[in-house]
Amino acid sequence: MSLRRATIVEGLQHILGADSVVTDERILKESSIDRFRMFEDIHGVYTQPIPAAVAMARSTEQVAGVLRFANEHGINVVARTGRTATEGGLETAVPDSVVLDGSGMNQILAIDAYNMQATCQCGVPLQVLEDRVREHGLTTGHSPQSKPLAHMGGLTATRSIGQLSTLYGGIEDMIVGLEAVFPDGTVTRIKNVPRRAVGPDIRHVIIGNEGTLCYITEVTVKLFPYLPENNIFLGYTVDTMKTGFEVLREVMVNGYRPSVARLYDPADGAYHFAHFVPEGLSVLIFVAEGPAGIAKATAEGIEAIVAQHPECRQVESRYISTWFADLNWGPDKIAREREDILQTGNINRTTEVSGDWGCINDIYENALRRIIEEIPDITMAGGHSSHSYINGTNMYFNYFYNVVDCGPEEEVTKYHTPINRIICEETLRYGGAIVHHHGLGKARTPWVRDEYGSSYYILEGLKRAFDPKGIMNKGTIIPA
Amino acid sequence: MNAVRILVCFKVTPDYEALREADWVAGEGGGAHGSGAAGGGTGAASRVETRYVPRILDCFDESALEMALRMREAAAGGTVPVELGAISIGGKEVERHLKTLQALGYERVTRVDTDADLDFAPTVTASIIARYVENTNNTDLLMLGWRSGPHDGGTVPFLVAEELGWPCLTQVTEVVVLSSDRVRVAHVVDDGVLRVTVRLPCVLGVGNAVVARLRVPTLTDRLAQRGAPVERVQGGDLGIDVAAELAREASVLADLEVIRRDRPGVIVGGESPREKAQTLFDSCLKSMIEKL
Repeated sequence: MSLRRATIVEGLQHILGADSVVTDERILKESSIDRFRMFEDIHGVYTQPIPAAVAMARSTEQVAGVLRFANEHGINVVARTGRTATEGGLETAVPDSVVLDGSGMNQILAIDAYNMQATCQCGVPLQVLEDRVREHGLTTGHSPQSKPLAHMGGLTATRSIGQLSTLYGGIEDMIVGLEAVFPDGTVTRIKNVPRRAVGPDIRHVIIGNEGTLCYITEVTVKLFPYLPENNIFLGYTVDTMKTGFEVLREVMVNGYRPSVARLYDPADGAYHFAHFVPEGLSVLIFVAEGPAGIAKATAEGIEAIVAQHPECRQVESRYISTWFADLNWGPDKIAREREDILQTGNINRTTEVSGDWGCINDIYENALRRIIEEIPDITMAGGHSSHSYINGTNMYFNYFYNVVDCGPEEEVTKYHTPINRIICEETLRYGGAIVHHHGLGKARTPWVRDEYGSSYYILEGLKRAFDPKGIMNKGTIIPA
Repeated sequence: MNAVRILVCFKVTPDYEALREADWVAGEGGGAHGSGAAGGGTGAASRVETRYVPRILDCFDESALEMALRMREAAAGGTVPVELGAISIGGKEVERHLKTLQALGYERVTRVDTDADLDFAPTVTASIIARYVENTNNTDLLMLGWRSGPHDGGTVPFLVAEELGWPCLTQVTEVVVLSSDRVRVAHVVDDGVLRVTVRLPCVLGVGNAVVARLRVPTLTDRLAQRGAPVERVQGGDLGIDVAAELAREASVLADLEVIRRDRPGVIVGGESPREKAQTLFDSCLKSMIEKL
């Protein structure tokens, strides 16, 4: 029998203390969603079940206490730290859920400049960690646009990736070890070693679990020398996306590792580059970094490859360095976005997928064509590739639409989900992956079985093994 | 009933927020990286280098453009037709904004074609606008942002009005079309908001209006207007030698100084929110309240 809301709150207060259990109605409403339902939020409309409380944990022991309590009483728990999720992963799908907030666990525990690794609690903002390690002449190499806002726990839980990923990798390449708490209160620590072959790499049970298996309380990440003075910025216009993808492929296949390797289509590129790129052209961007010799060799290698494609025309590098300096999203841009949406009814959404070199252009062209043909009120539809690998790349669909003739609560079902459906269908049809780095959340779970195919067996097995009572973030990754 | 013919003047400006602090440098080839031409146009060697940042609609002009659309919608239910025109002075960067306005329903869009840097040239700017209005003789209400960017002293609306001999109101926040020759205008004055009825023609300088963002046309709207003509006018067509006028109004950006408004943050300590609130009150708020 499920507990009454008041009893849940009392139980949490007993574990955390009264001051650490938030029951303010406005905060609870805002805590029932993430940016996936920002249109509803901006209009003050909340359609998801309201949680019983936000539990502010200050230690691993408190996290364990809350999870044990929830597990014992069958209470749904939604894990969160920086609250920058975009795919509905933080929605409280079950009434009287507990939102377990680790933003107060914000201590940097160690910066080991000799072994090139840093350990911090889950609630440390990435920007804070980055600023601290830079005092040592180091960098995490992780630079998602959400860097000023996102916390290390959430970044790990969603398998995040940064703008410099082509050199430094995704968060899964950076995590050395971590600590996590499972629903029955078991605290597990995976030690920090360069590599080991002692069975499956169990870090990957935790990285990307989106709060469906465990709560990440501490992470240790790799560090790298910070050498911005060596950065070389390269930019080119290119006539077609197909050629742009080919250039990206050749750069990767030939062994070059620029930190940034991007390709913008004309529509998406116009938002950033209209001041120097003629209408209708795509844009290729590279940043070579690292020790001076490597940066120079990388830039020269890229220039030689691009030179083989006469339709690529170089632009002044300062255009690219200026653009790159203004990429990240802090509170100011979030506030501006909310005001824009409220006044115009025009909202920007994104869906990121990946595919191998053989199919990525087909995914891009077909999904974009269908979005424009099938979805009403589109004001812009485009995309860019921003993370490349030796066998393929991602496609970050970027689109705006006017929300008209419907209430705020219908925005997701009228526009966003149908667009997600088109992109997921086309991606699956060509054998790509339906999510590249935002996490599945709840937004794209309708296609998770098709995404996994026969390997869904493993995913279900993990859920059964580690969350047998199904209290961890119901509806995320695995459909409710 | 005669239509009210509204002409909105707008400026496409560098996005100064995208300018790196290191690039706020006055002088020839401005900017830390030094790159020749400055200021986004010709004849501006002493400007801050801005050509590397994106171009955006000036925020007050954006308000004016949206207000005009809403004025037409509000008037549509009544008996007063409203015709909308838009004009901008500039180079190619202006074109895509004019096409956006066409897609939003502006009937007449005009580009006064020049690469000259008019950032510090309010009298030249005002002359161009005034001559265009006089020459075309099809404007009853001229609207424009009261200023555009950090280089603008907010004089253009007054100068245009003076040249045309029309009345001018600035800091306008709301306009309603009452009839074919009258509008109701709300504008901010020293001690509040004044609402007045103004006989047309007149010039309105739009200030901090609640309506601050321009709506966005759909791809379908854009497609429907594809190929619609953009009127292009040269300074000479208006009887103005822009280069000569600009030389007379030459100004030099001599220096720039960063005004630091950063304040140190203090984390208030305490065992509980109550204790923290008490500490905040005792250490800060109490003395502020006592000074009131």
